[in-house]
Amino acid sequence: MDFNQTVLVVFLVGSVLIVAAMIGVAATTRGAPQPQSQVQPRGYALRARWFWALGAATALALLISLPFVPYPSSAQLAGAQHVKVTAQQYGFVLPATIPARTPIIFDVTALDVNHGFGIYGPDNRLIGQVQAMPDYVNHLPFTFSKPGRYTVRCLEYCGVGHAYMQGAFEVK
Amino acid sequence: MSEPALREDAAASRVMWIYMLTGIAIFALMALLGLTMRMGQAKWIALDPTMFYAIMTLHGAGMITAMALCGMGGLWYLMNRERALSTLVAYWAYALMVAGVVAVLLSVFPGKFGAGWTFLYPLPFVGAAWPSWATGLFLLGIALVNIGWIVWCTQMFGCVVAKYGGIRGALAWDLVFHPKQFAASGRHEPPPQAFAALVAAVDGLLAGAAGMLVGIALIVHWLSPSIPLDPLWAKNLTYFFGHTFANLTIYMAIALVYVGLPRYANREWHTSQVLAVAWWGTLLFVAFAYFHHLYMDFVQPRPVQYIGEVVSYLAAFPPAVVTVFGGALLIFRSQLRWTMGSMFMFAGMAGWIVGGFGAVIDATIDINSTLHNTLWVPAHFHTYLLEGVVLFVLGWIFHQLEERSSAQSSPLMRWLVALGVFGGGAIFLLAFYVAGADGVPRRYATQPPPGPEISAWASIGIIILLIGFLICLVEAVRLARLRRAVAP
Repeated sequence: MDFNQTVLVVFLVGSVLIVAAMIGVAATTRGAPQPQSQVQPRGYALRARWFWALGAATALALLISLPFVPYPSSAQLAGAQHVKVTAQQYGFVLPATIPARTPIIFDVTALDVNHGFGIYGPDNRLIGQVQAMPDYVNHLPFTFSKPGRYTVRCLEYCGVGHAYMQGAFEVK
Repeated sequence: MSEPALREDAAASRVMWIYMLTGIAIFALMALLGLTMRMGQAKWIALDPTMFYAIMTLHGAGMITAMALCGMGGLWYLMNRERALSTLVAYWAYALMVAGVVAVLLSVFPGKFGAGWTFLYPLPFVGAAWPSWATGLFLLGIALVNIGWIVWCTQMFGCVVAKYGGIRGALAWDLVFHPKQFAASGRHEPPPQAFAALVAAVDGLLAGAAGMLVGIALIVHWLSPSIPLDPLWAKNLTYFFGHTFANLTIYMAIALVYVGLPRYANREWHTSQVLAVAWWGTLLFVAFAYFHHLYMDFVQPRPVQYIGEVVSYLAAFPPAVVTVFGGALLIFRSQLRWTMGSMFMFAGMAGWIVGGFGAVIDATIDINSTLHNTLWVPAHFHTYLLEGVVLFVLGWIFHQLEERSSAQSSPLMRWLVALGVFGGGAIFLLAFYVAGADGVPRRYATQPPPGPEISAWASIGIIILLIGFLICLVEAVRLARLRRAVAP
C-alpha cells in the first residue's frame, strides 16, 4: 500500500467513524427522552475532553507533518544537480534522462500560463509536483531511488489541451 | 428574562424564497452539467475538450453562486427578524448577482469561455479557444456577482453592528470577558445565526475587495494587454476571493440549522461564551485558510505556507468541537421529530465534518504534494457542499414547507430520499476520493487510467443522487400544495 492509499484508508475509516457517531446520536432520539438541562452538563464535560483530544491530535499531526515539507533548503539548492524544466501549452521541455540516486533540483518555470509539473513513477503513481509559473522559478528537490520511465503530467489547468500535456524522462 | 419578539413579514419571506429558489434552480442546472462532465470522462458520451472546459467553467462558477444565493437569502431572512432590513437593497444585491450569472452564462454559451472559475492570470488571455469578448463578458459577470455579494455583505454588516451595539457587541465581547456585568446590564447576546452573519459579512467584504482588485486588474489587462500583471499576486488574490467566498457558503447555511433544528428537537440552541469564541476563530481562520491553495507555489514566502497548514487545521475546531458537537448534543436523547427537514439538517452536519476531514488531510503540505490538483480536491469540497450546504438548504426549505403544510412526509418517502441523496452521494463522492488517491488529475477532459472506470461509477452515483433530488422535488411540491388552513 503506497502513501496515498494509506491516506485514503485513514480518511475512509475516519469518515465511517464520524457517520457512525452521528447515527448513534440520532438513534438516541428513539429512546427515553431526557430534559436538555440534564443532558447539557454531561455534554459540556464531554466537549471539553473532545477539545483537548482533538487539540492533542492536531498538535501531533502538525509536529509530524511540518518537518516534511517539500521545499528545498539552502544547502539542498547549493549541493544538488539542477535540471531545468520549461512548461508551455501543451508540453514540457526537460532532459531525456535523470541520474538515479542523485539529489536533483528541478528548476521549473513556464513561458505562457500557469502549469503543474506532476511526476508519476514507473508504476503510474503520483510522487511529487510543483507549479510551473510564468515569471517565477520553483525549485523542486527530488532524489530518484528507482530507475525507470517517469511520466510528467500537467497538474494545473492550462487550456483546452491540458489533459494531453505530458512529458517523460528516464531515470538511469 | 423574556427574549425580544422576532419580526415576521411576508416581504422578507418573499426575498428568502426568491434567493433560495433561484439558487436551487441554478444548482439543478449545474448538477446536470456536472453529470455531463463525468459521463464525458467515463467515455459514455463524446465531449469535445472545448465544450468540456466551457461546461467546467460554468459548473464551478455557477455552483458556488447557487450555494451563496441560498445562504444569502436564508441568512438575510433570519437577520431581518432581528432587525428590519431594506428589501430594496436585498433585491439590488440579488439583481446584480443574477445579472452576473447571465453574463457568465452567455460567456460560456455561446462564447465557450473555458478558463475555469479560477480564471488564473494569464490563462484567460493566452492561447484561448474562445473569442476575446467572451473573456470580457465572463470577467464582467464575475465582477457583477461580486458587487452583489459586497452589497449583501455591507447590509449584513450594518445589521449586526446596529443591532448588537457595534463590533464589540456583535462579537459578544462582554459576554465572554465580562459575563456578570453583561448579565446585569439586561442586554441580550446575539443569537448564534448573528455570528454567521458577522463572519460572512466581514470575511466576505475582505474577499470581495480582493476579488474586485484582481477583477479590475484583469479587465484592465483585457482592455490593454500591454499592461502586465504579476501571476503570483493575481493567484493569491484570486484564491483569497474564490476560496473564501466558497467557504463562507457553509457558514451562512449553518445559520439555518441553528434556527431550524431546535424547533424539531423542541430545545434551545443559544449563544454561549464557547460558541462566541468559536466564531471568533472562524472569523480569523476563514480569512487565512486560502494559503493552502498555493502550497505547490514554492516561491510563496515559507511562513505563509506554514500558516496555511496551521490555520487550515484550526479551522476544523469551531465546527467539530462547537457547532456540530452542539448540534449532536441538541438532539441527544431529545424527542426530535424526524422529518425531511430535520433529516437533511442533521445529515448535513455529518457531511460537513467528513468533507472537512478530507480538507484537513489535503491541507497537510506533505500530503498535498501528491494530492494537489488530483480529484481529491473536488472530492472534499463536493462533500461539504453537496452533503453539507445543499442539505442545510434543503432542510430549511422542507422546514418552511412542513410548518405551512397540512401533510407530512411518510417514513417510506424519507427512506427513499435518503437512499438516493445519501447513497448516490456516497458512490459519487467515493469515486472522487479513490481517483484522487490514485493520482488522477482534476480538470482533465480525458483522464488517464483508472480515471474513466472510476468516472463511470461517479456517473452512476450522480444519477442515483439526482433521482433522490427529483423525489425531493416531488415531495416538496406536494407539501407546498397542501397548505394548512390558517385561522382567520
